[in-house]
Amino acid sequence: MPIKILKTMMKEEWRIHANIFGNFMFAFFPLLISIGTFVVALFVPYLKTLITIKQMLLLAHYLFLLIGVGIGAFGLFAREFMNRRFGQASLIAYSSRTLPVSERVIFSNFIIKDVIYYIFLWIAPIILGFVLATPFISINTLSAIFACGTLILSFLIGLSLVFSLSTLYAHSSKILAALLLLAAIGTLILMRYYTISITTLLPSYSMFYQPTLRKIIISLLLILLPSALSLIFLKVDYPEKKKQYENSLNTLTEKLKFSKYSYYVAKDFLDLSRSDGGLGKIIFSFLFPIVLTWVFLYIFFEKIPTINIIMIFAIFLGIVSSQIYNMLTEFDTFNSYTFLPVSVSTVLGSKITSYMLINIISLIILIITAIGTNQLVYFVPALCSFITISLYSLAMTIYFMGLHPTILLYNAKIFSQYMLMVAPILFGFTIISILDPFILLASPILLIPAIFILKNSHKKWEDWQPLSF
Amino acid sequence: MKNVIEMNNLTKKFGELIAVNNISISIGEGELFGLLGPNGSGKTTMIKMLTGQIKPTEGAINVLGIDVLKNPVRTRELAGIIPEQESPPSFLTAEEYLEFVGKIRKIDDIKDKSDAWFHLLDFEDQRKILCRNLSRGTRQKLMVAQAFLHEPKLAFIDEPLINLDPIVQRTIKDFIQDYIKKGNTVFFCTHILEIAEEICTQIGIIDKGRLLHKGSIQELKDKSQHLEDFFIKLVKEEG
Repeated sequence: MPIKILKTMMKEEWRIHANIFGNFMFAFFPLLISIGTFVVALFVPYLKTLITIKQMLLLAHYLFLLIGVGIGAFGLFAREFMNRRFGQASLIAYSSRTLPVSERVIFSNFIIKDVIYYIFLWIAPIILGFVLATPFISINTLSAIFACGTLILSFLIGLSLVFSLSTLYAHSSKILAALLLLAAIGTLILMRYYTISITTLLPSYSMFYQPTLRKIIISLLLILLPSALSLIFLKVDYPEKKKQYENSLNTLTEKLKFSKYSYYVAKDFLDLSRSDGGLGKIIFSFLFPIVLTWVFLYIFFEKIPTINIIMIFAIFLGIVSSQIYNMLTEFDTFNSYTFLPVSVSTVLGSKITSYMLINIISLIILIITAIGTNQLVYFVPALCSFITISLYSLAMTIYFMGLHPTILLYNAKIFSQYMLMVAPILFGFTIISILDPFILLASPILLIPAIFILKNSHKKWEDWQPLSF
Repeated sequence: MKNVIEMNNLTKKFGELIAVNNISISIGEGELFGLLGPNGSGKTTMIKMLTGQIKPTEGAINVLGIDVLKNPVRTRELAGIIPEQESPPSFLTAEEYLEFVGKIRKIDDIKDKSDAWFHLLDFEDQRKILCRNLSRGTRQKLMVAQAFLHEPKLAFIDEPLINLDPIVQRTIKDFIQDYIKKGNTVFFCTHILEIAEEICTQIGIIDKGRLLHKGSIQELKDKSQHLEDFFIKLVKEEG
């Protein structure tokens, strides 16, 4: 039975996407990722002038870990997945509750299905693109294939780490906070007496250079143990149905009355705070990757004087913060508005306002980082880069994907258009930040096309028929 | 009697499928028009087009003097709509949802109006519970309330009594009949023929996107015909 459920869920996931933009456009997506990676890999010889192959490999392992971290918060979303992920659509995860199978088994299948899809859509194509490029960039193909294995391990370690932390959070945020505090203190104490390198912290990476049975076992344990514990302790029970909430909409609307979208924004905040995981979503899908990136950049780029870490961090922060828009659209489908006098444009406007307000968190993080690292001299160009990247990528997301970014991203055509508009900008910003960060003081000029594109997005999506799944 | 709804040559295609096929109907003020049809006959598509939720492939629609294609939001501002699927936002409470709708519709005395609906449909004890934790029936009550909060002159109702207990069904039927007596108009979709026979003044029968019949309930009664027999015969013949 569980295998049948998994197979059916796999089919269902395919059909959800294929139904919206066709089999070809969905199937073409991983191919596009491979082509993109292939092209990027061709630049490796040029990158070698900036960082060593060893550093590049470390960076790649870290990125794969981060992808796993970014998607691993399954522990918070159990009920959302089981219930109504896409508005009113009843997925197998929901409807199979009438079958003689436990919810734990259903949800375990759901996670396995998601992991397989992530590997199929992202991880495998990235690896394939890189391996295919190796003959052209003087990298040993066999070593590249071996690196693929360790990269997948990094992805799974990140995923399983956040899965376990999010499951713990779902039970008790206090226990999680205490555990993280203990871990931080423990690491500091260890660092005082022992030399801990980033290589030691990531066994999948160190395995690439010195593969031993011990490291393989440690890596597998890091994946299997937290995942198994998370599945055992996963919270799939339904919250108390009779829980009553005081009316917060009016109070919040009152506080936000400076915006013409005040009540929509208030609703967005209530969605975020009351949906499963609530604050946990922001912590695990947004703050956690940011902190992890900062730690990595701090350790990694400190040794490379040519690279200014606050600038790289600001660019990364701009991209990660644009993910907030995805969170805002995930729990608020347009189906709830179609029978009210509300236009798509109004909902888009309200999401942009909510996005800007939540992004104050990113701004605070940037300020703290600049002060903490004594890099205030670069604060203004870093701030310009952050704001520009954040708003520019938001404008592109809205233009190409409207209110359905998490679904339409997998349309190969839309994804390639989005990447063509965003990737060169990111690449340019990164290069300029290395050459002379102060040139980026002029970066807000990009906000002019961003605003123009946003205005056109309103028009474009107004004429669009809402998606139903 | 002036027409409140006018549709001419209305057609909607979804790829090869013709969901609504060249339908023209006019509905006068004060009528309770029931659009009847089997499952998948095109009723919901029709309501969605009339309220500007989806665009027709061909044809023109005028509702309350407004060209729906040109101004769909204004149409939904004036009319009240009960959708087929009860889909209030998951993370607002019932009370907050009605206030949210009140803010969208710019209703001043929203608190009093919501209270009246909580009382009428007997779900005051559910007002502080999140919409996603409400039963389907209670969510349906919420949908009925939101559609009439702004006291519209015209209401579009898609299967309004599904999931509701007989007592609430009676309350809603009585409310709709009173609403019509006040000169308002209702466009009503259902496949439950007893309800249509009981409360509608005019009916249209639709199957596979085509309008098979339009007339008054009284005509059928005059011919001593039961709506159910008439409906089944018509649909089978045309099918």
